Amino acid sequence: MALYRLSFRLRQTVTHVRSLHTSGCGQQQEAVAVESEPEPFSVFRAQENDPACQSEKCMGQYYTLPSAHIRTLFPHSLPWRYQQQVKTFNEACMMVRQPALEVISYLKKADYSKPSLRYLFYGLKGSGKTMSLCHTVHFCYTQGWLVLHVPDAHLWVKNCKELLPSSYNTSRFDQPLQATEWLRSFRITNEHFLSKIKTKQRYVWTKREFTEEGSPLGELVDQGIARVKSSSDVVGAVMKELRLQSGQPESDFRLAVAVDGVNALWGRSTIKKEDKSAVDVEELTLVHNLKKLMTNDWTGGAIITTLSQTGSLYTSKSAYLPQELLGERGFDSMDPFIPVSVPNYSEKEFESCYLYFMDRQWLQHPQSRTEEGKKELIFLSNRNPSMLDRICASYEVRRRYIRPTHTNICPINT
Amino acid sequence: MAASISGLLKPWTPRVFQVRWSRYNPYYLEPEVRKEAYSTPETELSAEEKAQRELKALRPIKAATSGVNSSVFSDPVLSKFINMVMTDGNKVLAREIMAQTLENIKRKQVEKYHKAPEGKKEEIECNPYTIFHQALENCKPVVGLASIQKGGKYYQVPIPLTDNRRRYLAMKWMITECRDNKHRRTHMYEKLSQELLAASVKEGNVIKKKFELHKMAEANRAYAHYRWW
Repeated sequence: MALYRLSFRLRQTVTHVRSLHTSGCGQQQEAVAVESEPEPFSVFRAQENDPACQSEKCMGQYYTLPSAHIRTLFPHSLPWRYQQQVKTFNEACMMVRQPALEVISYLKKADYSKPSLRYLFYGLKGSGKTMSLCHTVHFCYTQGWLVLHVPDAHLWVKNCKELLPSSYNTSRFDQPLQATEWLRSFRITNEHFLSKIKTKQRYVWTKREFTEEGSPLGELVDQGIARVKSSSDVVGAVMKELRLQSGQPESDFRLAVAVDGVNALWGRSTIKKEDKSAVDVEELTLVHNLKKLMTNDWTGGAIITTLSQTGSLYTSKSAYLPQELLGERGFDSMDPFIPVSVPNYSEKEFESCYLYFMDRQWLQHPQSRTEEGKKELIFLSNRNPSMLDRICASYEVRRRYIRPTHTNICPINT
Repeated sequence: MAASISGLLKPWTPRVFQVRWSRYNPYYLEPEVRKEAYSTPETELSAEEKAQRELKALRPIKAATSGVNSSVFSDPVLSKFINMVMTDGNKVLAREIMAQTLENIKRKQVEKYHKAPEGKKEEIECNPYTIFHQALENCKPVVGLASIQKGGKYYQVPIPLTDNRRRYLAMKWMITECRDNKHRRTHMYEKLSQELLAASVKEGNVIKKKFELHKMAEANRAYAHYRWW
């Protein structure tokens, strides 16, 4: 028993001594590496903060998003953990990765007189699809496009507190709360376009309320926010106007439609009618109108989407490919699209993430600065971005939570 | 000879039954979890470590519990705390609470660090593990009270405490304080992180409780000679 206690104390001193030793060696090696090979991954901050000027040289490096852009572009659309990270680190840094750069290069070279192209980010859970979408949307915003961003389409097909029968078409259902929330964030994002674009049609909301032809889009949006009952129809009207006007020669804007979790539009919903029968997604006004935007019969813009299993209903946890998540109907509607795979971090990207966390004082445990700690981080997270983020936050992440991947060999004991 | 060893390895019952005892025969040795112990070559071992290794080759070894691991991030004090937070054997939930607590502490401190001016940055402690250990150290009482009967009456007598007992009391007070005296609707990790941060700077209800115990012990100093051990 005494020997056991002695070995406990020995253990503490041994690890302390070892960590000092290896951290000293590590620093020397890093310094040597920087002098002999000035490669970009030893410097993790990108030189270019403008998405339009980023190239393959910046791959794996972090660029800073200005806080003004975050407030306007993503009022509530960033992933929750990323929002917390922005608050903690007092800056919003995003990694420049290959899938987003690929889509941005296509957007730069595309011909906007032809029908709009559809891009689909797909990948394992937590591999960075939503962040790639946000990067592409930031590029579109800096280029002056009109951004129509649906942060999560799954929120429109589940947990609906208020369901009204639609005034326009009696077989459909309205969702006033989700519609007003979306209109509010749309107004914040596209302030300067609201007065420039004019409606081409007269809309009648009730006996006394109508919107004249040629009135600015801002008036339409305000109408939807003020009159909550007709907000879903306003959303439909806004989408129709933008779709019709974006390809015309006299309109000077390009439309970017960004939808996260696009597989919700062709899935099932958990919303129930009053007689407890399930509502089909086709019967929801918001979903119906968004699907019209997802067709490629309009010009002058691009459709950038992401698949998401996390919020999806009635899909298995291991499904991540487009065929599995979109289903037959979804795949046929989205076909032809450009699939972009979002893999886990490569070694270079992992190094960059590690250095960024070190710089921001996020890796506090003395052992995490050693080589063995780093190897353990790689092993536990399998270089999955979200798992790495959770493990770096706290090393006590319960083992059963660690996500199985398709190369998983044996379960890790608790 | 075989008969005597197998006689030793019988299911073991102690002569005097203790409150907390192990079903293992005392002949069994503890398992070695650290990776370093297996990777050092023969030449670097001292004489007693070599003897220990030879003994391990001959004696049976207890099974390792599922709570210990060879991770570089494992901490025995933290494992003990997690075991004390655990209810109904739900270790997964206890670890999750602890993980969220440490993350919460780290987030608050790192946010303070990044918002602080250059001169103040060195004073802010961002490591949640040092804050946790510091908080526990600050909560450990120096003397305890025992109820001793003398002449028909029970007196509260100040007694010295062992290290394990002090650590146990600090953890127990921390957990009961967070469970009972905080607002019902806050999460456990939020309550724990607030209390740990306060205790690491010697504020908060747990520190107050420790000082009250010290005051009681000081007040009952006169009865200290009632202790016979």
